[in-house]
Formats: sequence, structure tokens, C-alpha cells
Amino acid sequence: MTWLRDFRILVALVPSTAVILGPFVWLIVSSLKTEAEIGAGHPFDLPDNLMWQNYVDAWNVGSFGSLIGNSLINVAGVVALMLLACVPAGYALAKIRFPGREWVFFGFIFGLTIPIQAIIIPLYQLLQGLGLINSLTGVVLAQVSNGIPFGIFLMRSFFLGVPNELTEAAKIDGASHLQILVKVFLPLSTPALQALVIISALSTWNDFFLPLVVLISPEVQTLPLGLVRFASTFTTQYRLVFSGTVITFLPVIILFILTQRRFTEGLTQGALKG
Amino acid sequence: MTKPKGLALALGLLTSVVMAPAAYAQTLTVWGSEQQSDPLVAELWEEIATSFEAKHDGVSVEYMAPTGNISNGAVQAAIQSNAGPDVLLTNSGIGRVTIVAEAGLVLPLSDQYAEYGWDTKLYPWLYEELKTQFDGELYEVPDGIDAIGLWYHKDLFEQNGWSLDGGWADFTATLDSIRGAGMEPIAVGVRGCCNGGHLFGNFLQAAAGSEVMGHVMKGEVQWADPAPLSGAQNLIEAVKAGYISPQMTGLDQDAAIRLWVNKRAALFVGGPWFIGNVRQNGYDVANLGYAPIPSDLPEGSRPTGGVGWSWMVPTSSDQPELAFAWIDHMLSDEIMTLRAEHPTGNQMMSRDLPDIQPAVAVMSEVYAAAAEGVGYNPSVYIPGAALDTYYQVIGGLIGGQVSAGDGMAQIDARMGD
Amino acid sequence: MSNDTTRAGRAGAIAARAAPAAAETYKDGSQDSAVTGFALLLPAIALYAAFSLLPILVTIWISFTNSGGFNTQAEFVGFDNYLRATQDPIIWQSLLRTFLWLIYHVVLAGGLGLLMALAISAMSRGRVFFRTALFLPHLVSLAVVGVIWANIYDPFYGLLNTVLQNIGLGGWIRGWLSEPMLVLFSVNVASSWQGFGLYMLLFIAGLQNIDRSLYDAADVDGATAWQKLVHVTLPGLRDVMTFVISLALINGLKGFATVFVMTNGGPFYASEIITTYIYRLAFSAQDHGLAAVLCIMMSILAITITVTFNRWRARGAA
Repeated sequence: MTWLRDFRILVALVPSTAVILGPFVWLIVSSLKTEAEIGAGHPFDLPDNLMWQNYVDAWNVGSFGSLIGNSLINVAGVVALMLLACVPAGYALAKIRFPGREWVFFGFIFGLTIPIQAIIIPLYQLLQGLGLINSLTGVVLAQVSNGIPFGIFLMRSFFLGVPNELTEAAKIDGASHLQILVKVFLPLSTPALQALVIISALSTWNDFFLPLVVLISPEVQTLPLGLVRFASTFTTQYRLVFSGTVITFLPVIILFILTQRRFTEGLTQGALKG
Repeated sequence: MTKPKGLALALGLLTSVVMAPAAYAQTLTVWGSEQQSDPLVAELWEEIATSFEAKHDGVSVEYMAPTGNISNGAVQAAIQSNAGPDVLLTNSGIGRVTIVAEAGLVLPLSDQYAEYGWDTKLYPWLYEELKTQFDGELYEVPDGIDAIGLWYHKDLFEQNGWSLDGGWADFTATLDSIRGAGMEPIAVGVRGCCNGGHLFGNFLQAAAGSEVMGHVMKGEVQWADPAPLSGAQNLIEAVKAGYISPQMTGLDQDAAIRLWVNKRAALFVGGPWFIGNVRQNGYDVANLGYAPIPSDLPEGSRPTGGVGWSWMVPTSSDQPELAFAWIDHMLSDEIMTLRAEHPTGNQMMSRDLPDIQPAVAVMSEVYAAAAEGVGYNPSVYIPGAALDTYYQVIGGLIGGQVSAGDGMAQIDARMGD
Repeated sequence: MSNDTTRAGRAGAIAARAAPAAAETYKDGSQDSAVTGFALLLPAIALYAAFSLLPILVTIWISFTNSGGFNTQAEFVGFDNYLRATQDPIIWQSLLRTFLWLIYHVVLAGGLGLLMALAISAMSRGRVFFRTALFLPHLVSLAVVGVIWANIYDPFYGLLNTVLQNIGLGGWIRGWLSEPMLVLFSVNVASSWQGFGLYMLLFIAGLQNIDRSLYDAADVDGATAWQKLVHVTLPGLRDVMTFVISLALINGLKGFATVFVMTNGGPFYASEIITTYIYRLAFSAQDHGLAAVLCIMMSILAITITVTFNRWRARGAA
């Protein structure tokens, strides 16, 4: 009977999956057409010749190499700073017993609720004052600060789940909290670290609002921002818009398919715990 | 033993790195054309740079890709961050220039106008207009002027006997005939900025004329006054008659251009920059026709526009003297003619060039249409605070969401800000 | 201590959130020094104070000034901006549309996520394939989603209208981004297409945690599939459901990129939501005082949503 149930579900699931993934198929097919074929307005006609040249042209005109480089720098910066800030902080809020701890924790929870758009004016002024407008450093600092409450929440939740005996035993041996964190907790924390890295990397890679406000020159812009600029101002050629769009999402999709189990696990656990 | 040697080598390298710029006495950083990603345009600008370097020994010109304009804050950011150019070309118009002039980001230029005689190197009407804008002070030197009008397909208009001569009634008759042939009469990308503004500016010009619109731009006449109001009313009528599909409010400029290039639409409202757009799309530029929007007013039909792009010198410029020389170079007969006759040929130069032979034939039609001067493209004249409302109101008029009276009143409400 | 040991179980983290924070002293009554605690917190506090807390306070200050640009002097004007906010119809329309936007997003993205999770979890094979395939849209940046869907909705060349034409549904052809009553929904579909994958994953995880024996018991009672769904599955998903709804509301509230890219709030403000109006006021109109008022409204909305759902969840857990 399982096969019958599976079959009935497939009858519903296959068409819906096809519809949901339809835009990808259409984009990839369109990205291999000539401008005239796109202009003919028949989305289901296959191209006469596969115009791989569209990708070469889009890559060159849109400087996608530099956009991808900037996005990678952005992600690396955010992930590194997030780990550096959230892991010790999450540990301190879970395992170090000091006066004022609850207040600090509530301070961070408060930040969890404030959307970045709601503080953008002073944030812009601050970055301008620091000379960080039009710089990836400025974007990284603001993104990390915005992500810190979530990251701390996540790490704290995980560390709370580690038995206190471990801390206490290590303390009796004379270890400092920093040593306990590095030598005892970090080796246990792979799932939480994985979740933190995946979630911050994905949200940074896809971020649009902060880069839009802060990154003005094309040389420092990140991928989503660069694509929007590319699609709206740089060209009226749709073959380039389509191939450029495929360039922006294909690397992440391939990376996801290769690592999907870890990725899904990290994302789910991270979201549920954070 | 190797250590001191290595140190000396490093020091030597360091010195040579530090000294290197001295070899090329001066570099002039120029924020040039936005279209330099187009190879044809890049070639032209290389030629301009080479000719400048030939005149100024030891100077090398370096182009910096423009990052945006004054409206989106890119110019201000570039100047304030000190990463800016020594001289820059950007979209101008009093609304935009006011922003950078009041913030003290660009140098006043009236001394240079006198010194280099720039006043004589521009259309007289253009210089007169610039002079009145800041109590006699000048902050910009126009590089080109926009001349926004109607672009049509020569072959289609010939085959169908369509024409853009005559008055408003003839115009609507032509639009009816186009509609009857199953084409979209006017393609316009209302979404985002600009193209909706081009269209509306043309309608206002046709209904109210350039004198009235000049007063509207300065806030001396209300947008809701009868003359401009009738322009807005005409736009609403045009939508009702099917000349402009309300679906255009969901299109951006690129999508409207695609509609026109594929001949699904008969007319597009834009300036000579449109030539560059259609050429990139493989459209035969010889088939381009241009005409100003028909009008029943005594002053006749005129394109809209005004100062489109200007040179300015940032206060952060490291080379102000060279920057002035560069501007003077751009205004020379040599460069003006070179640019006007170049195959890119998609802008109207800022002074009368009687003997030029434009490489793109339709440019002669543009020059002829603008011979008596151009009207106002509100996008470049109204204050920044009102601009956004202006674009939204255009969408509302075409989408049937706001009446002409209410829409114009909303723009009026932002004019004083 | 025994309390802590049981917490180490896999559900520990979730329980920890509802329970009060761990004991503040060691067994001997001693504490760590505040210096130790704050030393490890220093990087986080420094960044967070400078780039989040300080801007929150400054936003409140700006809402009482007439700041008209990023480089201008501002004066204290009392409650002027708040008064102006009450008189600006677009603010109220944008708030209303934000609510509508949130409802669309919860129903479309949350609903699709739940449906897909139920279907996938009911299969015996091929789960990973469908889970992976259906998650793909979530990997695309919302800004890029905007570019893609603006082309799907193009009235003349877009995928949607051409498909409708080809399958004989020409009557359904619409100006998806130009009709004022439709545009917000159209843009939300694009956002929800991107958003549902995460909710689907969370629902799948929730379904895995439902006690199998409940289904076995239902089978013994001869329950139909529908009865099992209503009486076992959905109650079992209660916690995940409240979590997904609050997440979807917060994500929806932050929605900006798709609207900005696809319509820029138009036509004539028909798709203007809080975030796009804040951007318009702050960066186009340079009216920082009014923008700051809207920023404060948005924060209050976000806090309200979070607090309400945490209460709801706490009550469910009790």
C-alpha cells in the first residue's frame, strides 16, 4: 500500500514542483537565446543555437567576477566576526555566572526585534562619520551588529544544553573560562557553529538593503546589488539580464546541492534554536 | 648577512614605489560618460583623452567609472569620501546642482567663465538661463543638452502614411490609426524613474508651452494652474483613448524600449540617448525618425530637455587648474565636432555647430527640432523633494488612480520643501 | 544539577528558552567576577552598542528634529514630525498595506510550506529529492527574485501572460504589476516563492518530532487520513506553527527588496509598504524627521509581533 500512497502524493507533488521550479527553467532557456529570439515573445521555443556567448558578454559587461569577489569578501568578513563575537558571548551568557548577566541578555533580545531598516538613518550617519560609506568594511560591521543578537541566542541555547559538570570539573583543574570555551566547548559545538556559519553566510550573500544604502561604487558592490544595477541601468539587452541572473544564483544552488544534508540540518536547527 | 641586504632591497623598492608617481607629473582623474562600457563610446573618450594629453605635457588622464548621479547621492558620496574625481560629468539641471552647490561640494565657476570665455561657447539661451539660477553664480558647464521628443519607425510610418506633422488633433488621429493597426501607439516605461517623466514633460510642453512651464519649474506658477493641468488632462485622455496602455505603469524603461525595438509599439518618448539604446539592441539606426510632440501653441512644437549633463569641479579636486583646462578642452571646436560627428552621436552638444555632419542621420532632425531652443523636462528642474512625488503622480495619472487636479496639487504641495 | 543534566537532551535548547536562566551561583554560593563575563562579551557588546543600540537612540532623537538631509543642521521641533505623520495619508496607507503584505506572506509562504512539508513527509521514498528541489528558490536573493519576477510579470513578454495565453486562459491575462489592487499581491507571490522553502524545512522537522505512537493509536481507532491530520498532525505541529508564523511575520515586516526592485512602491504608491516608504523619505525626499517617526512605528510593530508570539508560545508550553 505504500506505493499507492506514494503514487497519489506524486500526482500532486510533481506538477507543483514543476510550477515552482518553472521560473528557473525559463530563465536558463531564455539566457541561451539571441535578443531577437527573446523579442519574438515565445518563451517555450528552444533557441536555435545555444548562445553561450551571452554568459561571456554578461560576465564582462557586468563585471561579475568583481561582484562575486566582493560578495565573498563580505561573507568571509561577516562569518569571521560573527564567530568571534557570538561564540564567547553565547558562552558567557550561558556558563559564566556573573552579576548583570540577565540584563545583558535582555539587551541583546531587544535588538533581535529591531529591523535594520528602522535604524538606517543614524547608521548611515555613523558610517559616514567613520568614513565607511562605500566600503565593504562598513557593510560588514553593520551586518554583524544586526546579526549578533541572533548569533548569541543560538550559541547560548546550545551551550545551555551542555552539562554544567564539564565546566565545574575544568574549573577545579584550574582552567580559565576562555580555556574551557576553547578546549572543552568548541570541540562539542560543531552543529551550532555549522548553523551559525550557514545562516550568516546565506543571509549576507543575499543581503540587499545595506549594500544598497552603503555601497555606491560598482567596484565595491556585492552580487545582488550589482545584478539589479546591471538589469536596470547598464543594458537594455535581455539576453544579458537573463544570463547575468543565472550567474548570480547558480553558484549557490550548486553549492547547496553538494552539501544539502549539512546545509538543511544547519538551517533548520539554527532557525529553531535561535 | 642576508638580512641587511634584504632590508636595503626592501627600502629601495619602497622608495621607488613612493617616487613612481613623480615620473608622471600629474594625473587628472575624470568622471566621464556613463556609457563607457560600450566599446564605441570608450573609443571616443580615449581619443578625447589622448588629445588632451598632447596639449598638456606630463599629464595623464584617468577615467573613473561614474557610480551614479546627484539624485541617488553617488556624486556627493564620491566627493565627501575624497575618493572622488578631479572633474566630473553628471546629470544636471538646477534641482540637482542646487544640492551639491548648497552643500559646498562643487567650486563656483564664474571666474573661469570670464577667463576662458565659456559664455560664448554655449547656446546664448542656455547661458542666459544658467546665469539666472544662482544669483549670477555658476557651478556647472553644460556638456550636452537633452532634446526629448517622439521616436518613430521610418519604414512603418511611410508604409502606413502616418505622420507627426500638424497639431494635437492630427496627432490623436495618427495615434488612432496606429491603435487601429493593432500596435501600441506609445511605449513608455513608467516604473522606476525618468521615462514617465519624459512622456509627461512632453505632454505638458504641448499643452502649456515652454514659457509657462519655465514659471512652473521655478514655482511661480502652480502645477494645478489651467495650462499645465490641461497637459495632465490630455495624458488621462490619451490613456482612455488607448494611446497609452495602463499596463505601461508596470514597465520600466528597458521593457518599453524592447517593445519599441520589436515594433510592437510605434512611438517612444526620449532624448538622443535613445539612439545608443536601440543600436545596442541591433536596431537599424537608419530607420530612426524623430519629431517633437505636436502642439497647437503659437510657439509651435518643441522638444523638452534643458541642461542634460554638465561638468563640475568638486571642492575635493586635487587639480582644479587642470580641471578647468579639461572643461575648456571639452568646449573646443575640435572636441565638439569630433563628438557630434562620431558614430556614437547620441547627444546634442551645448552650442550651435552649424557645419557638422552627424554620423547618425537622425541627429540632424534632432538639431532642427531644437533650433529654437528646448522646453523643460521637469525631472531635471524640480526640487529633489518633489521629484519622487512627481514620478508617482505620473504613474497615478496613467493608472487612473488619481485625477489631474489632485495629482497636480500633490506635486504643488512638495514644491516648497 | 540534575536539572541541567536532563537539559542536555536534544530538546534541551528549546526548553531552555522557556525556562528561567540557569542558576546564578555555583554550589558553594560563589560567582564569577563580572570582569570575566564582560571580557568574553566585549566584542559583541562593542559592535552591538555602536551599530545597533546607539542608532536606535539616535533615531528617537531625529524624530524630534527637522533634519532635512545627511549634511544639514537639525533643530529640535518637538512633536511636529509626529503631527505631520498623522496628516500624511501615505503613511497610513503604507501601514495598511504592510498588514496586508504580512497576511499574504503568512498565508502564501506559510501555507505552501506546510502543504509541501505534509506531502513530502508522507512519502516513503524521494523525500530528499523533493525537499532539495523545493528549497532552491530560497537560495536566491530577494533582490534577484525581484528581477526574475518582474520579467515573469512583464505584460507583453512575461512568462505568466504568455503561458496563460497558450493554455487557453487568455481571459486571465492581467497587468500584474500595473493594476493597483493586484500589484501588492503579485509582488508578494514573488517574495513568498522565495520564502516558503525555509518554512517547509521547519515543518518537516516538526513532523519528524511527532510521536509515531499517536498515529498507531489513531489507526487502531480506525481514523481516516483526514482525521489523523486534524487530530494528530496539526496539534502536533502547534509549536512549530506559532514559530513559523512569527518568523514569517518578522520576515514579511522586513520585506523590502522585491517591492523596491519590482515596483518601487508604485504605481502611485499602490505597493508602498513601511520599508520602502522609509527608504523613500530618508534617501529620496531627505525628510529624516518624518522617516524617523516611521522607523519608530516599525520598531513598535516588530516588538509587538515578537512579544505577542512569545506569550502565545509560552502559554502553549505551560
